[in-house]
Amino acid sequence: MSATERSGGSTALAAGLGLLALLAAAGSLVIGRDGGGPTFGFGGPELAETIVREIRLPRTLLALLVGGTLGLCGAALQGLLRNPLAEPGLLGASSGAAFGAVVMFYFGFAGASSLLLPLGAVAGSLLALAVLYALAGRRGDFLTIVLAGIAINALAAALTSLALNFAPSPYAALEILFWMLGSLADRSLAHVYLALPLMVPGWLLVVAAARGLDALTLGEDTARSLGFDPKRTQALVIGGTALAVGAAVAVTGVVGFIGLVVPHLLRGAVGQHPSRLLLPSFLGGALLATLADIAIRLLPPGPELKLGVVTALLGAPFFLHLVMRSSARDGSAP
Amino acid sequence: MTLAAADVEVRYETRTAVRRTTISLEPGELVALVGPNGAGKSTLLRALAGLVAHAGTVTWCGHALARLDGRTRARTVAYLPQNPPVHWPLASRELVALGRLPHRPYAAQETPADVSAVTVAMRQTDTLEFAARSVSRLSVGERARVLLARALAVEAPVLLADEPIAMLDPYHQLDVMGTLRSYTAGRDTERKRLVVVVLHDLGLAARFCDRVLLMDDGAVVGDGPPEETLAPAAIRAHYRVEPFIARHDGEPSIVPWRSLRGPGEG
Repeated sequence: MSATERSGGSTALAAGLGLLALLAAAGSLVIGRDGGGPTFGFGGPELAETIVREIRLPRTLLALLVGGTLGLCGAALQGLLRNPLAEPGLLGASSGAAFGAVVMFYFGFAGASSLLLPLGAVAGSLLALAVLYALAGRRGDFLTIVLAGIAINALAAALTSLALNFAPSPYAALEILFWMLGSLADRSLAHVYLALPLMVPGWLLVVAAARGLDALTLGEDTARSLGFDPKRTQALVIGGTALAVGAAVAVTGVVGFIGLVVPHLLRGAVGQHPSRLLLPSFLGGALLATLADIAIRLLPPGPELKLGVVTALLGAPFFLHLVMRSSARDGSAP
Repeated sequence: MTLAAADVEVRYETRTAVRRTTISLEPGELVALVGPNGAGKSTLLRALAGLVAHAGTVTWCGHALARLDGRTRARTVAYLPQNPPVHWPLASRELVALGRLPHRPYAAQETPADVSAVTVAMRQTDTLEFAARSVSRLSVGERARVLLARALAVEAPVLLADEPIAMLDPYHQLDVMGTLRSYTAGRDTERKRLVVVVLHDLGLAARFCDRVLLMDDGAVVGDGPPEETLAPAAIRAHYRVEPFIARHDGEPSIVPWRSLRGPGEG
Protein backbone atom coordinates (compact mmCIF):
# COMPACT_ATOMS: atom_id res chain seq x y z
CA MET A 1 0.00 0.00 0.00
CA SER A 2 1.46 3.36 -0.91
CA ALA A 3 0.16 6.81 -0.08
CA THR A 4 -0.63 7.41 -3.72
CA GLU A 5 -2.87 4.35 -3.78
CA ARG A 6 -4.56 5.53 -0.61
CA SER A 7 -5.27 9.04 -1.78
CA GLY A 8 -6.16 7.50 -5.15
CA GLY A 9 -8.75 5.46 -3.25
CA SER A 10 -10.32 8.56 -1.73
CA THR A 11 -10.30 10.28 -5.15
CA ALA A 12 -12.17 7.29 -6.59
CA LEU A 13 -14.58 7.42 -3.66
CA ALA A 14 -15.20 11.13 -4.27
CA ALA A 15 -15.72 10.52 -7.99
CA GLY A 16 -18.21 7.73 -7.26
CA LEU A 17 -20.15 9.81 -4.72
CA GLY A 18 -20.16 12.78 -7.09
CA LEU A 19 -21.59 10.63 -9.87
CA LEU A 20 -24.26 9.20 -7.57
CA ALA A 21 -25.17 12.71 -6.39
CA LEU A 22 -25.58 13.82 -10.01
CA LEU A 23 -27.79 10.79 -10.76
CA ALA A 24 -29.88 11.49 -7.66
CA ALA A 25 -30.18 15.14 -8.71
CA ALA A 26 -31.36 14.07 -12.18
CA GLY A 27 -33.89 11.76 -10.51
CA SER A 28 -35.03 14.58 -8.24
CA LEU A 29 -35.77 16.72 -11.31
CA VAL A 30 -38.14 14.17 -12.86
CA ILE A 31 -39.72 12.38 -9.90
CA GLY A 32 -42.89 13.99 -8.53
CA ARG A 33 -45.26 13.24 -5.65
CA ASP A 34 -46.12 9.53 -5.53
CA GLY A 35 -43.54 8.90 -8.24
CA GLY A 36 -45.54 10.71 -10.91
CA GLY A 37 -43.81 12.62 -13.73
CA PRO A 38 -43.65 16.41 -13.69
CA THR A 39 -47.29 17.02 -14.70
CA PHE A 40 -48.92 13.63 -14.09
CA GLY A 41 -49.80 13.58 -17.80
CA PHE A 42 -51.71 16.85 -17.77
CA GLY A 43 -50.73 19.92 -19.74
CA GLY A 44 -48.20 20.33 -22.49
CA PRO A 45 -44.41 20.26 -22.50
CA GLU A 46 -44.32 23.97 -21.58
CA LEU A 47 -46.03 23.25 -18.30
CA ALA A 48 -43.63 20.41 -17.58
CA GLU A 49 -40.69 22.66 -18.36
CA THR A 50 -42.01 25.39 -16.10
CA ILE A 51 -42.52 22.97 -13.24
CA VAL A 52 -39.03 21.57 -13.56
CA ARG A 53 -37.43 24.99 -13.81
CA GLU A 54 -39.44 26.82 -11.17
CA ILE A 55 -40.07 24.10 -8.63
CA ARG A 56 -37.89 21.05 -9.06
CA LEU A 57 -34.64 22.79 -9.98
CA PRO A 58 -34.45 25.06 -6.90
CA ARG A 59 -35.48 22.17 -4.70
CA THR A 60 -32.81 19.90 -6.16
CA LEU A 61 -30.08 22.54 -6.07
CA LEU A 62 -30.87 23.35 -2.46
CA ALA A 63 -30.81 19.67 -1.50
CA LEU A 64 -27.32 19.37 -3.00
CA LEU A 65 -26.04 22.61 -1.45
CA VAL A 66 -27.52 22.14 2.00
CA GLY A 67 -26.63 18.44 2.18
CA GLY A 68 -23.10 19.16 0.97
CA THR A 69 -22.68 21.99 3.47
CA LEU A 70 -23.84 19.85 6.37
CA GLY A 71 -21.61 16.91 5.34
CA LEU A 72 -18.53 19.09 4.85
CA CYS A 73 -18.98 21.09 8.05
CA GLY A 74 -19.74 17.93 10.04
CA ALA A 75 -16.52 16.30 8.82
CA ALA A 76 -14.50 19.43 9.61
CA LEU A 77 -16.01 19.82 13.09
CA GLN A 78 -15.37 16.16 13.89
CA GLY A 79 -11.76 16.69 12.86
CA LEU A 80 -11.46 19.92 14.84
CA LEU A 81 -12.98 18.52 18.03
CA ARG A 82 -11.46 15.09 17.33
CA ASN A 83 -14.77 13.57 18.25
CA PRO A 84 -17.00 11.53 15.94
CA LEU A 85 -20.11 12.83 17.72
CA ALA A 86 -19.58 16.45 16.67
CA GLU A 87 -21.89 18.06 14.11
CA PRO A 88 -22.91 21.58 13.03
CA GLY A 89 -25.84 21.74 15.45
CA LEU A 90 -23.34 21.33 18.29
CA LEU A 91 -21.92 24.84 18.01
CA GLY A 92 -25.32 26.47 18.19
CA ALA A 93 -25.09 27.71 14.59
CA SER A 94 -28.28 25.86 13.61
CA SER A 95 -30.36 26.80 16.66
CA GLY A 96 -29.09 30.38 16.51
CA ALA A 97 -30.17 30.60 12.89
CA ALA A 98 -33.55 29.08 13.75
CA PHE A 99 -34.05 31.66 16.48
CA GLY A 100 -33.13 34.47 14.11
CA ALA A 101 -35.75 33.26 11.66
CA VAL A 102 -38.37 32.85 14.38
CA VAL A 103 -37.85 36.46 15.43
CA MET A 104 -38.68 37.46 11.86
CA PHE A 105 -41.82 35.31 11.94
CA TYR A 106 -42.79 36.65 15.31
CA PHE A 107 -42.67 40.27 14.30
CA GLY A 108 -44.49 39.42 11.13
CA PHE A 109 -41.63 40.47 8.86
CA ALA A 110 -41.62 37.14 7.07
CA GLY A 111 -44.80 38.11 5.25
CA ALA A 112 -43.32 41.42 4.14
CA SER A 113 -40.47 39.99 2.12
CA SER A 114 -39.33 36.44 1.50
CA LEU A 115 -35.74 37.63 2.00
CA LEU A 116 -36.12 38.91 5.54
CA LEU A 117 -36.54 35.46 7.01
CA PRO A 118 -33.25 34.08 5.63
CA LEU A 119 -31.43 37.26 6.58
CA GLY A 120 -32.72 36.86 10.13
CA ALA A 121 -31.41 33.29 10.16
CA VAL A 122 -27.92 34.27 8.99
CA ALA A 123 -27.84 37.04 11.58
CA GLY A 124 -28.90 34.55 14.28
CA SER A 125 -26.20 32.09 13.24
CA LEU A 126 -23.50 34.75 13.27
CA LEU A 127 -24.76 36.04 16.62
CA ALA A 128 -24.60 32.52 18.08
CA LEU A 129 -21.03 32.13 16.85
CA ALA A 130 -20.08 35.58 18.16
CA VAL A 131 -21.37 34.56 21.59
CA LEU A 132 -19.45 31.29 21.25
CA TYR A 133 -16.29 33.23 20.58
CA ALA A 134 -16.92 35.59 23.48
CA LEU A 135 -17.42 32.59 25.78
CA ALA A 136 -14.72 30.27 24.49
CA GLY A 137 -12.67 31.88 21.75
CA ARG A 138 -9.97 33.39 23.86
CA ARG A 139 -9.36 30.32 25.96
CA GLY A 140 -9.69 28.29 22.80
CA ASP A 141 -9.67 24.81 24.28
CA PHE A 142 -12.08 22.40 22.67
CA LEU A 143 -13.99 21.28 25.75
CA THR A 144 -14.92 24.90 26.45
CA ILE A 145 -16.20 25.23 22.89
CA VAL A 146 -18.45 22.19 23.28
CA LEU A 147 -19.82 23.44 26.61
CA ALA A 148 -20.39 26.91 25.19
CA GLY A 149 -22.19 25.33 22.21
CA ILE A 150 -24.50 23.44 24.57
CA ALA A 151 -25.26 26.64 26.47
CA ILE A 152 -26.00 28.55 23.26
CA ASN A 153 -28.26 25.76 22.01
CA ALA A 154 -30.18 25.79 25.27
CA LEU A 155 -30.54 29.57 25.21
CA ALA A 156 -31.64 29.66 21.58
CA ALA A 157 -34.20 26.91 22.24
CA ALA A 158 -35.51 28.80 25.28
CA LEU A 159 -35.85 32.05 23.35
CA THR A 160 -37.54 30.23 20.47
CA SER A 161 -40.03 28.71 22.93
CA LEU A 162 -40.61 32.15 24.40
CA ALA A 163 -41.43 33.50 20.95
CA LEU A 164 -43.83 30.58 20.39
CA ASN A 165 -45.40 31.24 23.78
CA PHE A 166 -46.15 34.83 22.86
CA ALA A 167 -47.01 34.11 19.25
CA PRO A 168 -49.72 36.53 18.09
CA SER A 169 -51.96 33.74 16.81
CA PRO A 170 -52.05 29.94 16.78
CA TYR A 171 -51.56 30.19 13.04
CA ALA A 172 -48.29 32.11 13.49
CA ALA A 173 -47.07 29.54 16.03
CA LEU A 174 -47.88 26.74 13.61
CA GLU A 175 -46.05 28.52 10.81
CA ILE A 176 -42.97 28.90 12.99
CA LEU A 177 -43.09 25.26 14.03
CA PHE A 178 -43.41 24.01 10.47
CA TRP A 179 -40.57 26.19 9.28
CA MET A 180 -38.32 24.89 12.06
CA LEU A 181 -38.90 21.30 11.00
CA GLY A 182 -36.73 21.86 7.95
CA SER A 183 -38.01 21.46 4.41
CA LEU A 184 -37.07 21.94 0.78
CA ALA A 185 -40.62 22.35 -0.47
CA ASP A 186 -41.80 25.59 -2.12
CA ARG A 187 -38.33 27.08 -2.54
CA SER A 188 -37.32 29.25 -5.46
CA LEU A 189 -34.07 30.12 -7.20
CA ALA A 190 -34.03 33.30 -5.09
CA HIS A 191 -33.23 31.08 -2.12
CA VAL A 192 -30.33 29.57 -4.03
CA TYR A 193 -28.99 33.01 -4.94
CA LEU A 194 -29.32 34.08 -1.35
CA ALA A 195 -27.54 31.07 0.17
CA LEU A 196 -24.77 30.45 -2.34
CA PRO A 197 -22.76 33.67 -1.82
CA LEU A 198 -22.56 32.86 1.89
CA MET A 199 -21.98 29.14 1.50
CA VAL A 200 -19.06 29.31 -0.92
CA PRO A 201 -16.80 31.45 1.29
CA GLY A 202 -17.81 29.23 4.21
CA TRP A 203 -16.72 26.12 2.30
CA LEU A 204 -13.43 27.74 1.33
CA LEU A 205 -12.64 28.68 4.92
CA VAL A 206 -13.33 25.12 6.06
CA VAL A 207 -11.24 23.59 3.27
CA ALA A 208 -8.35 25.94 4.10
CA ALA A 209 -8.18 24.21 7.50
CA ALA A 210 -7.77 20.74 5.96
CA ARG A 211 -4.08 20.16 6.70
CA GLY A 212 -4.42 21.74 10.13
CA LEU A 213 -7.04 19.08 10.89
CA ASP A 214 -4.58 16.35 9.84
CA ALA A 215 -1.95 17.82 12.15
CA LEU A 216 -4.45 17.88 15.06
CA THR A 217 -4.69 14.08 14.82
CA LEU A 218 -1.65 13.93 17.11
CA GLY A 219 -2.87 16.57 19.57
CA GLU A 220 -2.38 20.30 19.87
CA ASP A 221 1.32 20.24 20.83
CA THR A 222 2.30 18.14 17.84
CA ALA A 223 0.06 20.23 15.56
CA ARG A 224 1.87 23.37 16.65
CA SER A 225 5.27 21.71 16.28
CA LEU A 226 4.24 20.85 12.70
CA GLY A 227 3.57 24.53 12.03
CA PHE A 228 -0.23 24.56 12.33
CA ASP A 229 -1.63 26.83 15.01
CA PRO A 230 -4.73 25.08 16.44
CA LYS A 231 -6.35 28.47 17.07
CA ARG A 232 -6.13 29.34 13.40
CA THR A 233 -7.53 25.94 12.42
CA GLN A 234 -10.34 26.49 14.90
CA ALA A 235 -11.13 29.99 13.61
CA LEU A 236 -11.28 28.73 10.02
CA VAL A 237 -13.56 25.79 10.79
CA ILE A 238 -15.90 27.67 13.14
CA GLY A 239 -16.10 30.78 10.97
CA GLY A 240 -16.66 28.73 7.83
CA THR A 241 -19.32 26.62 9.54
CA ALA A 242 -21.15 29.71 10.81
CA LEU A 243 -21.37 31.15 7.31
CA ALA A 244 -22.26 27.98 5.43
CA VAL A 245 -24.60 26.39 7.99
CA GLY A 246 -26.22 29.74 8.79
CA ALA A 247 -27.01 30.14 5.10
CA ALA A 248 -28.27 26.55 4.87
CA VAL A 249 -30.61 26.91 7.86
CA ALA A 250 -31.72 30.24 6.47
CA VAL A 251 -33.20 28.65 3.37
CA THR A 252 -34.34 25.23 4.61
CA GLY A 253 -34.83 25.38 8.37
CA VAL A 254 -33.04 22.94 10.64
CA VAL A 255 -32.00 19.70 8.93
CA GLY A 256 -30.14 17.60 11.47
CA PHE A 257 -27.89 14.57 11.55
CA ILE A 258 -26.59 14.68 7.96
CA GLY A 259 -23.45 16.34 9.32
CA LEU A 260 -23.12 13.55 11.87
CA VAL A 261 -23.97 10.47 9.85
CA VAL A 262 -22.23 11.12 6.54
CA PRO A 263 -18.66 11.72 7.77
CA HIS A 264 -19.03 8.81 10.12
CA LEU A 265 -20.03 6.38 7.38
CA LEU A 266 -17.21 7.51 5.08
CA ARG A 267 -14.37 7.78 7.58
CA GLY A 268 -13.23 4.18 7.22
CA ALA A 269 -13.17 4.45 3.43
CA VAL A 270 -10.61 7.28 3.52
CA GLY A 271 -8.34 5.56 6.05
CA GLN A 272 -9.56 7.84 8.91
CA HIS A 273 -7.72 10.78 7.35
CA PRO A 274 -9.44 14.04 8.46
CA SER A 275 -8.53 16.07 5.36
CA ARG A 276 -9.39 13.31 2.89
CA LEU A 277 -12.79 13.02 4.54
CA LEU A 278 -13.86 16.56 3.57
CA LEU A 279 -14.67 16.22 -0.13
CA PRO A 280 -16.35 12.80 0.13
CA SER A 281 -18.45 14.10 3.05
CA PHE A 282 -19.55 17.10 0.98
CA LEU A 283 -20.62 14.85 -1.90
CA GLY A 284 -22.09 12.22 0.41
CA GLY A 285 -24.12 14.86 2.24
CA ALA A 286 -25.42 16.22 -1.07
CA LEU A 287 -26.36 12.68 -2.12
CA LEU A 288 -28.09 11.82 1.17
CA ALA A 289 -30.13 15.04 1.29
CA THR A 290 -31.26 14.57 -2.33
CA LEU A 291 -32.22 10.93 -1.77
CA ALA A 292 -34.10 11.81 1.42
CA ASP A 293 -36.00 14.52 -0.44
CA ILE A 294 -36.92 12.05 -3.23
CA ALA A 295 -38.04 9.52 -0.62
CA ILE A 296 -40.38 12.11 0.89
CA ARG A 297 -42.15 12.46 -2.48
CA LEU A 298 -42.51 8.70 -2.90
CA LEU A 299 -44.30 8.23 0.43
CA PRO A 300 -48.08 7.65 0.36
CA PRO A 301 -50.29 10.73 -0.12
CA GLY A 302 -51.12 12.93 2.83
CA PRO A 303 -49.39 15.95 4.31
CA GLU A 304 -45.82 15.97 3.00
CA LEU A 305 -43.23 14.85 5.55
CA LYS A 306 -40.62 17.50 6.33
CA LEU A 307 -37.01 16.77 5.37
CA GLY A 308 -35.76 17.64 8.86
CA VAL A 309 -38.21 15.12 10.34
CA VAL A 310 -36.99 12.36 8.02
CA THR A 311 -33.29 13.00 8.71
CA ALA A 312 -33.96 13.17 12.45
CA LEU A 313 -35.96 9.92 12.39
CA LEU A 314 -33.10 8.17 10.64
CA GLY A 315 -30.28 10.03 12.36
CA ALA A 316 -31.29 9.93 16.02
CA PRO A 317 -31.15 6.12 16.34
CA PHE A 318 -27.81 6.21 14.52
CA PHE A 319 -26.53 8.79 17.00
CA LEU A 320 -27.71 6.64 19.90
CA HIS A 321 -25.93 3.65 18.39
CA LEU A 322 -22.68 5.66 18.17
CA VAL A 323 -22.95 6.87 21.75
CA MET A 324 -23.58 3.36 23.05
CA ARG A 325 -20.73 1.93 21.03
CA SER A 326 -18.24 4.56 22.12
CA SER A 327 -19.26 4.28 25.78
CA ALA A 328 -18.93 0.50 25.50
CA ARG A 329 -15.38 1.18 24.35
CA ASP A 330 -14.47 3.06 27.46
CA GLY A 331 -15.40 6.42 26.03
CA SER A 332 -12.47 6.48 23.62
CA ALA A 333 -12.77 7.48 19.98
CA PRO A 334 -13.90 4.53 17.85
CA MET B 1 24.34 26.52 13.57
CA THR B 2 23.48 26.63 17.22
CA LEU B 3 20.31 26.15 19.21
CA ALA B 4 20.71 28.64 22.01
CA ALA B 5 18.49 29.38 24.97
CA ALA B 6 19.20 32.69 26.70
CA ASP B 7 17.69 33.40 30.12
CA VAL B 8 14.77 31.09 29.41
CA GLU B 9 12.36 30.91 32.31
CA VAL B 10 8.94 29.24 32.40
CA ARG B 11 6.42 30.08 35.07
CA TYR B 12 3.14 28.37 35.67
CA GLU B 13 0.57 30.06 37.86
CA THR B 14 2.06 29.23 41.22
CA ARG B 15 5.51 27.90 40.53
CA THR B 16 8.53 28.31 38.32
CA ALA B 17 8.94 25.17 36.21
CA VAL B 18 12.20 26.21 34.57
CA ARG B 19 14.48 28.72 36.27
CA ARG B 20 16.52 31.17 34.21
CA THR B 21 18.47 28.85 31.94
CA THR B 22 21.13 29.63 29.37
CA ILE B 23 22.43 26.78 27.23
CA SER B 24 23.94 26.39 23.80
CA LEU B 25 23.58 23.18 21.80
CA GLU B 26 25.46 22.26 18.62
CA PRO B 27 24.51 20.03 15.68
CA GLY B 28 26.22 16.66 15.78
CA GLU B 29 25.48 16.32 19.49
CA LEU B 30 23.25 13.72 21.05
CA VAL B 31 22.24 15.44 24.28
CA ALA B 32 20.52 13.62 27.12
CA LEU B 33 18.21 15.68 29.31
CA VAL B 34 17.95 13.88 32.64
CA GLY B 35 16.70 14.56 36.14
CA PRO B 36 14.17 13.33 38.69
CA ASN B 37 10.39 13.59 38.17
CA GLY B 38 9.18 17.15 38.16
CA ALA B 39 12.64 18.60 37.54
CA GLY B 40 11.38 20.60 34.53
CA LYS B 41 12.81 18.43 31.72
CA SER B 42 9.64 18.31 29.63
CA THR B 43 8.94 22.00 30.18
CA LEU B 44 12.44 22.99 29.08
CA LEU B 45 12.06 20.78 26.01
CA ARG B 46 8.72 22.40 25.17
CA ALA B 47 10.27 25.84 25.63
CA LEU B 48 13.05 24.88 23.21
CA ALA B 49 10.36 23.73 20.78
CA GLY B 50 8.53 27.04 21.15
CA LEU B 51 5.41 25.41 22.54
CA VAL B 52 5.18 27.13 25.90
CA ALA B 53 5.23 30.82 26.79
CA HIS B 54 8.55 31.72 28.39
CA ALA B 55 10.77 34.61 29.33
CA GLY B 56 14.07 34.94 27.50
CA THR B 57 14.75 33.82 23.93
CA VAL B 58 15.45 30.63 22.04
CA THR B 59 17.43 31.13 18.85
CA TRP B 60 18.49 28.92 15.97
CA CYS B 61 21.46 30.24 13.98
CA GLY B 62 20.86 33.59 15.65
CA HIS B 63 17.18 33.84 14.62
CA ALA B 64 14.57 33.88 17.36
CA LEU B 65 12.42 30.76 16.91
CA ALA B 66 9.33 32.64 18.06
CA ARG B 67 9.63 35.01 15.11
CA LEU B 68 10.00 32.36 12.42
CA ASP B 69 6.82 31.57 10.51
CA GLY B 70 5.16 28.32 11.56
CA ARG B 71 6.25 26.22 8.62
CA THR B 72 9.90 27.27 8.77
CA ARG B 73 10.02 26.60 12.49
CA ALA B 74 8.36 23.22 11.95
CA ARG B 75 11.00 22.27 9.39
CA THR B 76 13.76 23.39 11.76
CA VAL B 77 12.65 21.84 15.04
CA ALA B 78 10.89 18.47 15.23
CA TYR B 79 9.26 17.70 18.55
CA LEU B 80 8.04 14.38 19.93
CA PRO B 81 5.87 14.79 23.04
CA GLN B 82 5.73 12.18 25.73
CA ASN B 83 2.73 9.89 25.06
CA PRO B 84 1.01 12.10 22.49
CA PRO B 85 -2.66 11.30 21.81
CA VAL B 86 -3.59 9.63 18.52
CA HIS B 87 -7.16 10.78 17.88
CA TRP B 88 -7.88 8.89 14.65
CA PRO B 89 -6.67 5.31 14.07
CA LEU B 90 -4.67 6.05 10.92
CA ALA B 91 -2.55 3.39 9.27
CA SER B 92 0.99 3.54 10.69
CA ARG B 93 2.47 4.79 7.45
CA GLU B 94 -0.12 7.57 7.18
CA LEU B 95 0.69 8.65 10.71
CA VAL B 96 4.42 8.79 9.94
CA ALA B 97 3.66 10.79 6.78
CA LEU B 98 2.13 13.54 8.97
CA GLY B 99 5.75 14.43 9.75
CA ARG B 100 6.06 15.64 6.15
CA LEU B 101 3.25 18.23 6.47
CA PRO B 102 5.67 21.16 6.98
CA HIS B 103 7.44 20.22 3.73
CA ARG B 104 4.39 20.04 1.52
CA PRO B 105 2.77 23.03 -0.09
CA TYR B 106 -0.99 23.08 0.13
CA ALA B 107 -2.61 19.69 -0.56
CA ALA B 108 0.23 18.52 -2.80
CA GLN B 109 0.88 14.83 -3.41
CA GLU B 110 3.87 13.23 -1.70
CA THR B 111 7.15 13.94 -3.46
CA PRO B 112 9.87 11.28 -3.82
CA ALA B 113 11.68 13.07 -0.97
CA ASP B 114 8.59 12.63 1.24
CA VAL B 115 8.28 8.94 0.37
CA SER B 116 11.98 8.38 1.01
CA ALA B 117 11.93 10.24 4.35
CA VAL B 118 8.92 8.22 5.54
CA THR B 119 10.44 4.91 4.46
CA VAL B 120 13.83 5.68 6.04
CA ALA B 121 12.19 6.76 9.30
CA MET B 122 10.11 3.58 9.42
CA ARG B 123 13.06 1.35 8.63
CA GLN B 124 15.11 3.02 11.37
CA THR B 125 12.39 2.46 13.93
CA ASP B 126 11.70 -1.11 12.80
CA THR B 127 8.08 -0.27 11.97
CA LEU B 128 7.91 -1.02 8.23
CA GLU B 129 6.33 -4.42 8.86
CA PHE B 130 3.15 -2.83 10.20
CA ALA B 131 3.07 0.12 7.81
CA ALA B 132 -0.48 -0.73 6.67
CA ARG B 133 -1.79 -1.63 10.12
CA SER B 134 -4.00 0.80 12.05
CA VAL B 135 -2.19 2.37 15.01
CA SER B 136 -5.12 1.32 17.19
CA ARG B 137 -4.03 -2.27 16.66
CA LEU B 138 -0.42 -1.79 17.78
CA SER B 139 1.06 -2.45 21.19
CA VAL B 140 2.09 0.56 23.28
CA GLY B 141 5.75 0.05 22.39
CA GLU B 142 5.05 -0.39 18.68
CA ARG B 143 2.96 2.75 18.70
CA ALA B 144 5.74 4.67 20.46
CA ARG B 145 8.13 3.66 17.65
CA VAL B 146 5.66 4.77 14.96
CA LEU B 147 5.34 8.14 16.73
CA LEU B 148 9.13 8.43 16.85
CA ALA B 149 9.25 7.66 13.13
CA ARG B 150 6.79 10.54 12.60
CA ALA B 151 9.22 12.91 14.31
CA LEU B 152 12.25 11.50 12.44
CA ALA B 153 10.41 11.90 9.12
CA VAL B 154 10.44 15.69 9.53
CA GLU B 155 14.22 15.44 8.92
CA ALA B 156 14.66 18.64 10.89
CA PRO B 157 18.14 19.79 11.93
CA VAL B 158 16.88 19.76 15.53
CA LEU B 159 14.98 16.85 17.07
CA LEU B 160 13.56 17.19 20.59
CA ALA B 161 12.24 13.88 21.92
CA ASP B 162 10.53 13.46 25.29
CA GLU B 163 11.14 9.97 26.70
CA PRO B 164 10.97 8.14 23.35
CA ILE B 165 12.21 4.84 24.82
CA ALA B 166 10.22 4.66 28.05
CA MET B 167 7.75 2.11 26.64
CA LEU B 168 10.19 0.03 24.58
CA ASP B 169 11.61 -3.44 25.14
CA PRO B 170 15.41 -3.68 25.70
CA TYR B 171 16.12 -4.57 22.05
CA HIS B 172 14.30 -1.52 20.76
CA GLN B 173 15.66 0.75 23.50
CA LEU B 174 19.18 0.01 22.25
CA ASP B 175 18.01 0.19 18.66
CA VAL B 176 16.36 3.60 19.07
CA MET B 177 19.38 5.03 20.90
CA GLY B 178 21.50 3.89 17.97
CA THR B 179 19.04 5.49 15.57
CA LEU B 180 19.15 8.81 17.43
CA ARG B 181 22.94 8.56 17.45
CA SER B 182 23.06 8.14 13.67
CA TYR B 183 20.38 10.85 13.20
CA THR B 184 22.89 13.39 14.59
CA ALA B 185 25.29 12.50 11.77
CA GLY B 186 22.69 13.55 9.18
CA ARG B 187 21.81 11.71 6.01
CA ASP B 188 24.76 13.24 4.23
CA THR B 189 27.71 13.91 6.51
CA GLU B 190 27.87 17.66 5.85
CA ARG B 191 24.57 18.41 7.56
CA LYS B 192 24.91 17.33 11.14
CA ARG B 193 21.87 17.45 13.35
CA LEU B 194 21.13 18.04 17.00
CA VAL B 195 19.10 15.62 19.11
CA VAL B 196 17.94 16.40 22.65
CA VAL B 197 16.36 13.41 24.33
CA VAL B 198 14.73 13.16 27.74
CA LEU B 199 15.80 9.89 29.37
CA HIS B 200 15.39 8.10 32.67
CA ASP B 201 17.86 5.32 31.90
CA LEU B 202 21.14 6.81 33.11
CA GLY B 203 23.14 3.88 31.75
CA LEU B 204 21.90 4.47 28.20
CA ALA B 205 22.41 8.21 28.62
CA ALA B 206 25.99 7.62 29.67
CA ARG B 207 26.73 5.16 26.87
CA PHE B 208 25.08 6.80 23.87
CA CYS B 209 25.09 10.54 24.54
CA ASP B 210 27.87 13.05 23.99
CA ARG B 211 26.57 15.43 26.56
CA VAL B 212 24.23 15.21 29.51
CA LEU B 213 22.12 18.02 30.94
CA LEU B 214 21.06 17.24 34.50
CA MET B 215 18.07 19.14 35.84
CA ASP B 216 16.75 19.39 39.36
CA ASP B 217 14.01 21.66 40.72
CA GLY B 218 13.71 23.66 37.48
CA ALA B 219 17.42 24.41 37.09
CA VAL B 220 20.14 22.87 34.96
CA VAL B 221 22.56 21.70 37.66
CA GLY B 222 24.95 19.77 35.48
CA ASP B 223 26.07 20.17 31.87
CA GLY B 224 28.94 18.25 30.38
CA PRO B 225 30.15 14.86 29.23
CA PRO B 226 28.34 11.91 30.86
CA GLU B 227 31.13 10.85 33.19
CA GLU B 228 31.20 14.38 34.62
CA THR B 229 27.46 15.13 34.89
CA LEU B 230 26.55 11.63 36.01
CA ALA B 231 29.27 11.31 38.62
CA PRO B 232 28.15 9.29 41.67
CA ALA B 233 28.02 12.39 43.88
CA ALA B 234 25.65 14.16 41.46
CA ILE B 235 23.39 11.11 41.17
CA ARG B 236 23.24 10.83 44.95
CA ALA B 237 22.50 14.53 45.41
CA HIS B 238 19.85 14.97 42.73
CA TYR B 239 18.28 11.53 42.26
CA ARG B 240 18.60 10.45 45.91
CA VAL B 241 19.84 7.00 44.88
CA GLU B 242 23.09 5.19 45.42
CA PRO B 243 24.34 4.23 41.94
CA PHE B 244 26.13 1.05 41.00
CA ILE B 245 28.64 1.94 38.31
CA ALA B 246 30.55 -0.66 36.34
CA ARG B 247 32.30 -0.86 33.00
CA HIS B 248 31.69 -3.44 30.31
CA ASP B 249 33.50 -3.51 26.96
CA GLY B 250 35.05 -0.20 27.97
CA GLU B 251 31.67 1.51 28.33
CA PRO B 252 30.00 2.70 31.51
CA SER B 253 26.93 1.11 33.02
CA ILE B 254 24.95 2.94 35.67
CA VAL B 255 22.36 1.10 37.71
CA PRO B 256 20.36 2.83 40.46
CA TRP B 257 21.02 0.49 43.35
CA ARG B 258 19.39 1.79 46.50
CA SER B 259 17.21 4.78 47.32
CA LEU B 260 18.70 7.20 49.82
CA ARG B 261 16.47 8.93 52.31
CA GLY B 262 17.00 12.64 52.55
CA PRO B 263 17.31 14.48 55.86
CA GLY B 264 14.06 14.50 57.77
CA GLU B 265 12.56 11.56 55.91
CA GLY B 266 13.10 9.15 58.76
